[in-house]
Amino acid sequence: MSDTEDASAPQSEPLDLVRLCLDEIVFVRLRGDRELKGRLHAYDSHCNLVLGDVQETIYIVEDEEEDEEGTVRTVNKQSEMLFVRGDSVVLISPQGQP
Amino acid sequence: MSFFGFDTTLPRDRKVVPGFSSQHDAFAGLEGGAADDNALEFEDTYDGLGDQLSDADDALNDDTFGEQPATQAGVGRDFDFASRTARVADAMQEEQMIYHARHGINKPQAPPPVQYQPAKTGYENYADASYIPRLEADAALWGIPPKAAEAPREQPGPAAARKMMSLEEVEAMMRQQSVHTTQQPAPQSIAPEPVPHHQQQFQPPGPPPPQFSGPPQVLQRPHPQQPGFLPPIQQAIPHDARSFHERPPMQAELPGQGVQHPQILQRPKQAPEPSNQRQQPRQRPPPQQARASPQPRQILQNPNRLSGQGQPVQQPRPSDAAGQRVPTGPAHQRGPSYSGPIITNPQQILQLSDEERKAYLIEEAKRAKRNHKIHMLSKDNGLMTPQDKNFITRIQLQQLMASIGNLDEAGSPEAIISDDFYYQVYAQIRGAARAHPGQPASQFAQTYLFQTGGRYGFGRRGRQGNADNHIQRMEQQVARAVEAAKAKPKNKQLVIEGSLGKISFSNAKTPKPLLNIKPAALHHAEARPGSAQGGKDPHGSVKDEATERRKVLKDLETVYETLMAMEDHDRRMPPPLTEESSADLIQAMMEWRHRLGQLNKKLWNGLRVMEPIVPGSPIPHPFILLVNHGKGMKALGRVFRHIDDNQRLTITTLTLINLDHLRVIQHGVPPPNSTTLPQPIKDEIDLFTATINPLLFAVFHDSPLNVVVGLLGLIVERTTIPWLARTKIGTSILTLLVSRAEVLREALVAQQAAQMLPAESLEQQLPDLAAYRDTYTKLFAALEPALPFLFGGFGHPAKTETGDDVHVWQFLACIGAAADPGQQQRLVLGVKDRVMETVGVARSLPGEEGEKRLHKVNLFMRGLGLDVELLS
Repeated sequence: MSDTEDASAPQSEPLDLVRLCLDEIVFVRLRGDRELKGRLHAYDSHCNLVLGDVQETIYIVEDEEEDEEGTVRTVNKQSEMLFVRGDSVVLISPQGQP
Repeated sequence: MSFFGFDTTLPRDRKVVPGFSSQHDAFAGLEGGAADDNALEFEDTYDGLGDQLSDADDALNDDTFGEQPATQAGVGRDFDFASRTARVADAMQEEQMIYHARHGINKPQAPPPVQYQPAKTGYENYADASYIPRLEADAALWGIPPKAAEAPREQPGPAAARKMMSLEEVEAMMRQQSVHTTQQPAPQSIAPEPVPHHQQQFQPPGPPPPQFSGPPQVLQRPHPQQPGFLPPIQQAIPHDARSFHERPPMQAELPGQGVQHPQILQRPKQAPEPSNQRQQPRQRPPPQQARASPQPRQILQNPNRLSGQGQPVQQPRPSDAAGQRVPTGPAHQRGPSYSGPIITNPQQILQLSDEERKAYLIEEAKRAKRNHKIHMLSKDNGLMTPQDKNFITRIQLQQLMASIGNLDEAGSPEAIISDDFYYQVYAQIRGAARAHPGQPASQFAQTYLFQTGGRYGFGRRGRQGNADNHIQRMEQQVARAVEAAKAKPKNKQLVIEGSLGKISFSNAKTPKPLLNIKPAALHHAEARPGSAQGGKDPHGSVKDEATERRKVLKDLETVYETLMAMEDHDRRMPPPLTEESSADLIQAMMEWRHRLGQLNKKLWNGLRVMEPIVPGSPIPHPFILLVNHGKGMKALGRVFRHIDDNQRLTITTLTLINLDHLRVIQHGVPPPNSTTLPQPIKDEIDLFTATINPLLFAVFHDSPLNVVVGLLGLIVERTTIPWLARTKIGTSILTLLVSRAEVLREALVAQQAAQMLPAESLEQQLPDLAAYRDTYTKLFAALEPALPFLFGGFGHPAKTETGDDVHVWQFLACIGAAADPGQQQRLVLGVKDRVMETVGVARSLPGEEGEKRLHKVNLFMRGLGLDVELLS
């Protein structure tokens, strides 16, 4: 048991953790104040991601008034399938079961 | 002239003049005789000039020469050096004038001036060969005695001069060599000097080894010259020269001179050879140690008087007297070597026996040598700190290592870098295989360290001794470093007892692992026993949960990888074998199958089906953990395609046994405050229904009755039926099993009725039927209390309206169909309320919706052999 375990276990690298999230719901933070939450279907070494059933949240700071700090407005989008280019990925987090 | 001077000074010299060296004594004796004979004549002819000269300076005599025993001859004082003669320069001038004037005129009268004048001019005139004959001619006028006196007189002059030279130290001579040569050049000294030297050089046997040049010279000098008086004088000169080297004052020498006198006197009479031999025994010791002794001695003595280098050159001079004309080469060589040992202890040496002297000299030489070395080295003491020395040493070692490489492999492309010591170490640490293609990596260290390879072979052969020592030391250090580097990665972590964490080592090869993911097996070994206790420790369980999940995900990835490999392997299946398949094909098929077996085993292991089942453990079986994941469910469908029936049945059994641990069952019942399941669970249930149920159904479908009954019995025994029955998955599985068993049973009964089966077969089946009956009874007994709760929200209108209860009606129908009449009654009792409610709702609902519900109820009713219509 254990020997096959060792044999099959690839050398650990960060993306192996992402691999564990395959077909799981992951939380992805992107540049530009965007967040994604969806099922990870695929990824590659550039962190290009393919997500399914994605809920995208965009945080928009609106500074209408100078005296006010500006309110944060969120825009939600739902996408059935999404390709995320890796250079915009800030973090990937396994969401875990609710 | 010397005559007059001699006469006048004689009384004074006796008392005033300090002891000059031995020659004076000898002379004094001779003089005494001469003076007695000629005293009267002297007085007569004396013009008084001599008194004038000497009287004025009498007071200074003591200062100049110090006190001397009366026995000492004053002979030399007149000839003494410029200082004295200069004072009387005027008088001398006058005398000279007079002499020249009278010389030609009156012979009888002339003698006094004549004698007087030569005394002054004598120095300059010595160079002239004709001078002496003239003196002799003059002496002849006075008769023999004066001549006899005169001859010694003449000789002492130069001798005294030389003696004075020696007194004034070598320095004076060296500085004023030119002066000396002009003023004092003693005719004898110049002329005889070269001769003896040559003689010595040319006489192979005669003189002792070159080192002895000093004494031999002294002895030999007389030979070329007059044998009479000169030898002693000459002898004295070298002695003086020697005395210089030593500090002992003149007085100290005097006693020694007394000893020498007889020898000196005798020498002239003796043949040169014997005298040489006599001297040799004395000098023997030095020659033997000659090599070592002279040099150091000089060096030691030099600091006092001369600069180190000048000394050896100058040393010979005193003995050589006017050595300028003499070929300096040989003289210089002899000088130092000879002077060294002898000078040290003139008196003692003379008195010592040969052995003692030898020993003493040797010892002295050693000491001198050592002192010299120390002296030479001491001036640089403290220049470098230990750090500096270490630094230098390191540089040297590095250069050593680097330079050796250059000798051999100049042509190879790696020669440049491979010469670098640091490169060697670097390559060793980083793995040298690439750096040295020709060598196996594992061998490199030894090659490098023990020179078994060709790398340093050539260079080393050439170098031995110190270089090798350094290299070996270096190698040992490198070896140690390499060993340390090798040993380090083996212990990647250090767990100190009592510490909260681990200490990780890192190096270039294995970076410090920030994330510590243990191998699954290890983790299991740890987690299992830990989890058994972990039920009591909430923290522990939470931690386990997180790590468990990650581990499960990893296992799943392994399963998927294996699956993909197997699927890929399927595609590579060689064409099916036939009778005429070639050997290659058969071979390929064999390999393929072998590989398939490997993959299957790997997959099986990855699924963790065979891990031991721990009854009652709160931690689900690893396989169940896999299946609890959506990925695991999905994978299972693919897995089933690649495993055989036994494996499938094993998986099925494992699943059924652990139904309670399935998430879809654990969470398959709506929470108390809600009538509906959370969406994720619903999704999971749907997924399970879509993926696992068909697999299970397939297994059940392929299984004989006994297997189905066995499975059912396992479920009844190992799971919580009431809870199971309230979940969709649980009811589904039970429905599948019971319906399958019922089908089999009915088929069996039908066959039995039709007598289609052989008797034995029937006999075989009967126990199964009986077992099925027992099992079903148990199942129904367990199920009965839960019958009112089979429908999620009991009596909840919303639940009823959703219509999401088909599986429940199916299950009920299945149970009812399998139940015996008594059980059917109890079953009806249990669900009657629900049936009536549903029927009522259905009736109230318009058209199609109502029909649906009625249809569902009817499923159950028909299972009982009833119909909804009957209810109305």
